[in-house]
Amino acid sequence: MKTYTAGDVTLERVREYVWEIPREGKMGTPARVLASERLLSQISEDKTLQQLRNATQLPGVTKYAVCMPDGHQGYGFPVGGVAGIDAENGCISPGAVGYDINCGVRMMRTNLTMDDVRGHEEELVDALFDAIPSGLGGGGVVESGIDTVNEVLERGMAWALDEGYATDADLAHCEDEGVREESDPSAVSTKAKNRGKNQLGSLGSGNHFLEVQRVTDVFREEVADAYGLSEGQVVVLIHCGSRGLGHQVCTDYLRKIEKRHSGLLSKLPDRELAAAPAGSRLAEEYYAAMGAAINFAWVNRQLVMHRTREVFEDVFDRPWRTMGMELLYDVAHNIAKKETHVVRVGPEGRPVGDGEAVEREERELFVHRKGATRAFPAGHPEVPGAYLDVGQPVIIPGSMGTGSYVLRGGEASMELGFGSTAHGAGRVMSRTQAKKDYWGGDVREELEREHIYVKAQSGATVAEEAPGVYKDVDEVVRVSDALGIGDTVARTFPVCNIKG
Amino acid sequence: MSYALREHTADIGVEATGETISDAFAAVADGMAAAMCDDIPAGGTRFALDVRAESREALLFDYLDELIYQRDVRAVLPVENEASVREDGDGWHLNGSARGVPLADLSAREVKAVTYSEMVVEEADDGWRAHVVFDV
Repeated sequence: MKTYTAGDVTLERVREYVWEIPREGKMGTPARVLASERLLSQISEDKTLQQLRNATQLPGVTKYAVCMPDGHQGYGFPVGGVAGIDAENGCISPGAVGYDINCGVRMMRTNLTMDDVRGHEEELVDALFDAIPSGLGGGGVVESGIDTVNEVLERGMAWALDEGYATDADLAHCEDEGVREESDPSAVSTKAKNRGKNQLGSLGSGNHFLEVQRVTDVFREEVADAYGLSEGQVVVLIHCGSRGLGHQVCTDYLRKIEKRHSGLLSKLPDRELAAAPAGSRLAEEYYAAMGAAINFAWVNRQLVMHRTREVFEDVFDRPWRTMGMELLYDVAHNIAKKETHVVRVGPEGRPVGDGEAVEREERELFVHRKGATRAFPAGHPEVPGAYLDVGQPVIIPGSMGTGSYVLRGGEASMELGFGSTAHGAGRVMSRTQAKKDYWGGDVREELEREHIYVKAQSGATVAEEAPGVYKDVDEVVRVSDALGIGDTVARTFPVCNIKG
Repeated sequence: MSYALREHTADIGVEATGETISDAFAAVADGMAAAMCDDIPAGGTRFALDVRAESREALLFDYLDELIYQRDVRAVLPVENEASVREDGDGWHLNGSARGVPLADLSAREVKAVTYSEMVVEEADDGWRAHVVFDV
């Protein structure tokens, strides 16, 4: 059997692009990395594999903890990590969701082509940058009070619909129709709400962005037709999350769990994996608070999209509806959700790793996806009606210089990764190193030579997000496609990009 | 007291030292400000903080979380941090202050949250050392 050793971790090659860290010591299950050898060598350069191995120690982890092809080191739980944890006897871990709850991506179609946009690029990037709040202290599209925040937390995009910021079609094309029903605003602290009330409808900073793109390639015509995508078409990609409100929800529950479930925490290898036992009051409260933050993030992206429609109306001097500016899909990539999956069950009737399995059963799991995208295949009941026959859209942003991809949930995603695939290109270089290697002005000029117009709050952000700090998104998507966890539908290339 | 920004694939680490634990805590807070902003302007007014927690590590976590919270609700970047840390009857206690520079006056990147990942708070031969990874 072919093996790959990195430090104290040895992986066995199960088959092409599937690597397994066998169960040993305190690991509850094996762990798996879905990657080519080149991506695996990048993944193994930092502490990703150790964090993945640690994740298998969470009580109730089933089958295996999985690292997607774009995985890299996070805090506690790796970015690109997926764990399906028994919702009856297991636990829920805020650290395995991440601080930016429902950080995610949405793509909006237009019926414009590059011929319509050419010559307007700089006007467009300036107008978008002026209109869409970004960076630290940039405010939001809506300056709200606590009452409004509570409504957003409770109702998600239904609130945006009632307030005139969304259409019925927007809701129909959002994961879970833009609302997590099991949310409870009263489980969200006043502190979190105070942070959120001035940030509703804002990008934030770091790797968050809004990008106007053109579709350069279509790989699966039939699926692209269902998604309304064709070569030469202009689309808009929005990447942001739940802002300070979501960060505070994660922080609050990490600390509450640490205090109330210290016994469980003392058995875990990393304090950032702090977990509330399934069925405990805190597990239920966190799930409800996380759901509320998920709703906040959907409204956040909706308001940014609403403002984008207004900017296009100004720049192209016509109503947004005549430009076909419809939501293709909005998909979360930092989330935990109760889902039913087929898992291996051991002699005692509890979900276990492959080795001890005596039978397979459908079980309700808390599927934790941190930097991973839900990727349900055609026919799955949770795929929106418009896409039921072709599979759920998956949006994988690349870097400012390399383009992005639209995929559809693949048939093998359920078996290999609890219905998940990658969420981006995945970093390979630290921000500190990026600032040593790149200067924001040079990066911007280089991109302009490629006719990509970038506007950011700071040059340092441009340097930190330079294309060279990311893995090869083409390789990430190629592996996803080859494994059948996400099938390539179309490729897009940046036209202009605004960053916080 | 001093700090240095440490590399981390996706996030950012701050390593700080101080003659006392109070100095080390304030140095981590200054490092967090440096992770957000390269050139800090003059101006702004000082504000006070009061934080209690059950352990040294929890106190450092809650202190930095409070600074992030104050940043968002006051719309200021907390810089020139001062801290006084002591153990009292039922845990650890920090009195501190920071100069809050209006965010409107600077160009800054967001630190989302403080994490426990790889956190170190330890007494060394020549003082105190702390290491914190921030989610950015």
